[in-house]
Amino acid sequence: MNETVAEGLFYLTAAAYVAASVLFLRFLARGKGDVGLLGPRLIGVGASLHAVHIVVASLVLRVCPVEGIHFPMSVASMSMAVAYVLARKRLKIEVAGAFIAPLALTSLLASRFVGNAEPSARMKGAILPFHVATNLFGVALFTLAFSAATLYLIQEHLLKKKRIDGVFRRLPPLDVLDRAEHRFLLAGFPLLTIGIITGTLWARRVEMGSSSEVLRSIFGYVTWVVIAAVLFLRAAAGWRGRRAAYGTIAGFGFAVVVMMLYLLRTPSQGTVTASLDRAAPPVASPSVVAAAPSVTASPERGGHEMRP
Amino acid sequence: MTLPVVVIGLSHKTAPVEVRERFASGSEILPEILARITARAEIDEAMFLSTCNRVEVIGLPKLAGTHEEATRLASHAIREALREHIGAHSVEELREYLYERTGEDAVRHVFRVAASLDSMVLGEPQILGQVKDAYDAAVAAGALRSHLSRCVGRAFSVAKRVRTETQLGTGTVSISSVAVDLAKRIFGDLGDRTVLLVGAGEMAEAAAKSLGQQARSIRICNRSFERAANLASHFNATAAPIEQLESELVMSDVVVASTSSKSFVITRDLVKRVMKQRKGRTLFFVDIAVPRNVDPAIHEHIDNAYVYDVDDLQSEVAENMRSRQAEVAQAEKIVEAELGAWLQWARGLNVNPTIVALRAKTRGVLVAELERSLGSRLKHLGDADRAALSQMIESATNKLLHSPTTRLKQAAGASEGDDLVRAAQHLFDLPSAPTPEPSSPSVSTAPAPESEERLPH
Repeated sequence: MNETVAEGLFYLTAAAYVAASVLFLRFLARGKGDVGLLGPRLIGVGASLHAVHIVVASLVLRVCPVEGIHFPMSVASMSMAVAYVLARKRLKIEVAGAFIAPLALTSLLASRFVGNAEPSARMKGAILPFHVATNLFGVALFTLAFSAATLYLIQEHLLKKKRIDGVFRRLPPLDVLDRAEHRFLLAGFPLLTIGIITGTLWARRVEMGSSSEVLRSIFGYVTWVVIAAVLFLRAAAGWRGRRAAYGTIAGFGFAVVVMMLYLLRTPSQGTVTASLDRAAPPVASPSVVAAAPSVTASPERGGHEMRP
Repeated sequence: MTLPVVVIGLSHKTAPVEVRERFASGSEILPEILARITARAEIDEAMFLSTCNRVEVIGLPKLAGTHEEATRLASHAIREALREHIGAHSVEELREYLYERTGEDAVRHVFRVAASLDSMVLGEPQILGQVKDAYDAAVAAGALRSHLSRCVGRAFSVAKRVRTETQLGTGTVSISSVAVDLAKRIFGDLGDRTVLLVGAGEMAEAAAKSLGQQARSIRICNRSFERAANLASHFNATAAPIEQLESELVMSDVVVASTSSKSFVITRDLVKRVMKQRKGRTLFFVDIAVPRNVDPAIHEHIDNAYVYDVDDLQSEVAENMRSRQAEVAQAEKIVEAELGAWLQWARGLNVNPTIVALRAKTRGVLVAELERSLGSRLKHLGDADRAALSQMIESATNKLLHSPTTRLKQAAGASEGDDLVRAAQHLFDLPSAPTPEPSSPSVSTAPAPESEERLPH
């Protein structure tokens, strides 16, 4: 029965995101429809259904929503939708829903097909769930910053080419997008920093395993450096507008690489031995963006494989 | 025959500005003008519309003889009122400037004016507000009460339909409004932005009017500081000498350049320095000077700086005008459809009194016969039987008059409507009802009496 409810909520959420996507894309392509009111509401409805779906599904499966792959992806997309709904009016970026709705839908569907809902290992201790949760919210905010930066580049290109009708009129004003991008980055950066710190603390307790894990850590640090540079150069050297947008997109790109490395890791890393219970350090779980610390523990340090 | 509405006026199409300005009137003297027009015996209802490009009197004649006769008298009265209004010697002086529309054409004209199809700038939104103001003033003065009020009210619906169902009002169609629109597309709200005018001529003044209303502050930089200070005093702005141009650019967001300089006043090197000091904050130049004042290389080579010259803005204006022109046919269709509905309703006004009279007469005859019988041969009947007979009379009236009523109403919208009305009046010896029913000047100012048949929709 509960599975049926979770399933129904999943489809309802997807339907809300589909409807919002269609509405926004129709507006961008043809300038038709009132996206200022209905679009964000549809995303809000989708995000609410999404949150209920996550709660119900995690209760049914007895899984913490930050464990495994399935749920964190879902939580990230839901957080992004919620952040959009909360910020869009203040930042006047309603049209960014044209990015948010399809991205939320894609993440929702991807979470269905990538990984299993049930993690094969449980997270132990407090650091790791905290690490994953902060990274998830960070990803959500960086996705919003990425959306604003992309829209900015489109607007800026049209303005420089002096093509100031059609799509130009439907997108938010240039400075509004620049400001929104900056604020999302500012909000996401502390979460990323906490993710990096908790990831580093965790990484000290285990040893690096495969090259993809090392790469993941490296890209996590690179993401942090790029975002930090974008924020610093904006404040110190006036790197606004196009340069900041490119930097934001680059930072988001590195974050996506980290996520892809995590999602595409080899199955051999995904085993957990029965000796888990004896393990001194807690079992690693997905580290989504920042320095990915969830690695295979060496037999010398405890004699048990860790789930990444 | 529909309502004999009369429109007499002059517009940008018929009279030059020096003539139009003689007729133009502020809202404060509207009651006086309306009182003067409605005081004439020939006019039942009237509205006075005065805008920059148009002065019109829309009137509904008091019925006297035929519609044609009433229209002719009302036309003469309105012309006289206009002559008095500007103090001309004779109405002949005005003849070449005035246009006149009557009946169906007059209603179409009112609909087209409200929908901005007759405006100098096609689709401009201000006209609807101006018509509404004129309507409110006329209602308040008691000059609009009944059928003409309904006609103007209908014009608002037409305008709303045109605005929502076509793209006639989209895009901006003047240089200054395009500049303001573009600045908003870049900065969003201009309420926290500073506008710098480089130059203090007429064009700077026009820019100050349009941009200055929305910006946080205006600064004016000019070679002649005295002239800058003079203009600044009109717009609550701050003046600065041209030597301070660099520092002024640092603190401004929108720059409108309109000097008569033969070379670039704002160069690429200058803006490079300025952008460093601004820490990359966006700077938007509107160059409305010819020759240009702002180096176009700034737009291509400097990040976050945008330069739009008069050609860029003009092409946007022309593009928007073309888009609007393409919508005219659709808007005219709406006007014609609404006019058709209006005419149907207005012609119904001609048959309604005849239908009412016919029903009253039929029912009166039957009731009188019944009363006579109930007082003699049928006086033994009880209350229940009497009630049943009354009910029978009602039913008989309805059934008997169903076909004539339906046919008269159907014919109301067609040309034979008047013939049928006259035939019915002749055959049944009904009084010939005047159309439209004149309303007493002392009645309430409610625009549409409840007794009237409702318009379609």
